[in-house]
Amino acid sequence: KAVIDRIIRVDHAGEFGANRIYAGQMAVLGRSSAGPVIQQMWNQEKDHLKKFNELMVAYRVRPTILLPFWNVAGFVLGAGSALLGKKGAMACTVAVEESISDHYNSQIRTLVEGDPEKYKELLQIIKQFRDDEREHHDIGLEHDAEAAPAYSVLKTAIQLGCKAAIFLSERI
Amino acid sequence: VVRWQLSPPQRPLQASAVLRRVSDEHKKEPLASSSQQQFDSHPADHQPGQEPQGPDPSYTGQGSQESEDYESEEQLQHRILTAALEFVPEHGWTAEAIAEGAKALGLSAAAAGMFQSDGSQLILHFLSQCNTKLSELLEQEQKLVQQGEAEKKPIDQFLRDAVEARLRMVIPYLERWPQALSILLMPHNIPSSLSLLSSMIDDILHYAGDQSTDINWYTRRAVLTGIYNTTELVMMQDSSPDFEDTWRFLENRIADAMKMGDTANQVQSTGEAIVQGLMGAAVTIKNLTGLNQRR
Repeated sequence: KAVIDRIIRVDHAGEFGANRIYAGQMAVLGRSSAGPVIQQMWNQEKDHLKKFNELMVAYRVRPTILLPFWNVAGFVLGAGSALLGKKGAMACTVAVEESISDHYNSQIRTLVEGDPEKYKELLQIIKQFRDDEREHHDIGLEHDAEAAPAYSVLKTAIQLGCKAAIFLSERI
Repeated sequence: VVRWQLSPPQRPLQASAVLRRVSDEHKKEPLASSSQQQFDSHPADHQPGQEPQGPDPSYTGQGSQESEDYESEEQLQHRILTAALEFVPEHGWTAEAIAEGAKALGLSAAAAGMFQSDGSQLILHFLSQCNTKLSELLEQEQKLVQQGEAEKKPIDQFLRDAVEARLRMVIPYLERWPQALSILLMPHNIPSSLSLLSSMIDDILHYAGDQSTDINWYTRRAVLTGIYNTTELVMMQDSSPDFEDTWRFLENRIADAMKMGDTANQVQSTGEAIVQGLMGAAVTIKNLTGLNQRR
């Protein structure tokens, strides 16, 4: 039960943060050529968040108290990366989506090793979302994320932030 | 029969020594656990007085020494504490009450040595029982509503009824309750008492239909906890018939809480209205001074 709690809490926080990141990116690049692409990815994240809201109520999981913080931090990250240009936004997307896919993968492993039958529905949902995030990651690469200014520095910094966010949201 | 008279004093020791490994598996199902071990349903919780006395069908006397009681230590403690509650009005939340409870079950008073001497476990056991009863009550109510046999209550009434139901469980022990609360406030008890309190509040809000997944999850629980605690304190000093003053206090606090939610919205919409007014004023001034015109 404690494991499921953590999984749902951190995933909920993650989708919430991702939503805010795309919102920030749209605020800056909404009217540019990258607008439609970002909007589409954002819509998928909105669906993800809705699903996790439902799961949270169903499993009676406490949301992380850091949500207001992720609200602001996500938006700032999205807007900030978008200010570096379209490629900067794509680089941010690649970094975040890669972190999230890895994270979903390790959750899938945990559930499969634990009790795959009992958590069949949850497993299915996480697998589907993992595939979606992977797709976002690839879209980001297709749109020249790697050509962004200081790509590797940016990517490392963002992924470090994601790791910290995951660690905290699982617990607090 | 002779064996029976010898065994009761040994039982607490036996239970601990022999059955520690059983205790984790059979926490909540004393009947099921016994049936897994070849005996008929062991009346663990229902007939505490009968066990050591008559020809109990579970103990045909043919079992070997080890199969005498397959009750785990935790179940035994549970039974003793439940029996001890009866003696709380007289002895308070103390080791004496626990000793009396053990004696009522036909066990030696030394069984009280299994527990902490300050009576905390007795109080926590009581709280946990009350919370379980409340959960069951709310679950049943929910079933009735789902089956269409009852009306869904408006949320303020739901909260009021739930808190009242839970507080009423304390009434039989009200005289000794201040003692209980002060024991619960001791540092080593705070984690357990807080956890019981928060799970109770979470239960109430869950059955009330709370589906918040943001910071409201925290604010609602904090508000309800505050209401519960203050109402509990009021109840302890209330001498009105059937505590009507307490229930009125509760009603008022809940009404306040409902209004607070509305007020936050009102403040926000007022703020927005003010901003719009200022923007409108700025545009008007710009028009008047001709700054808006492109010449």
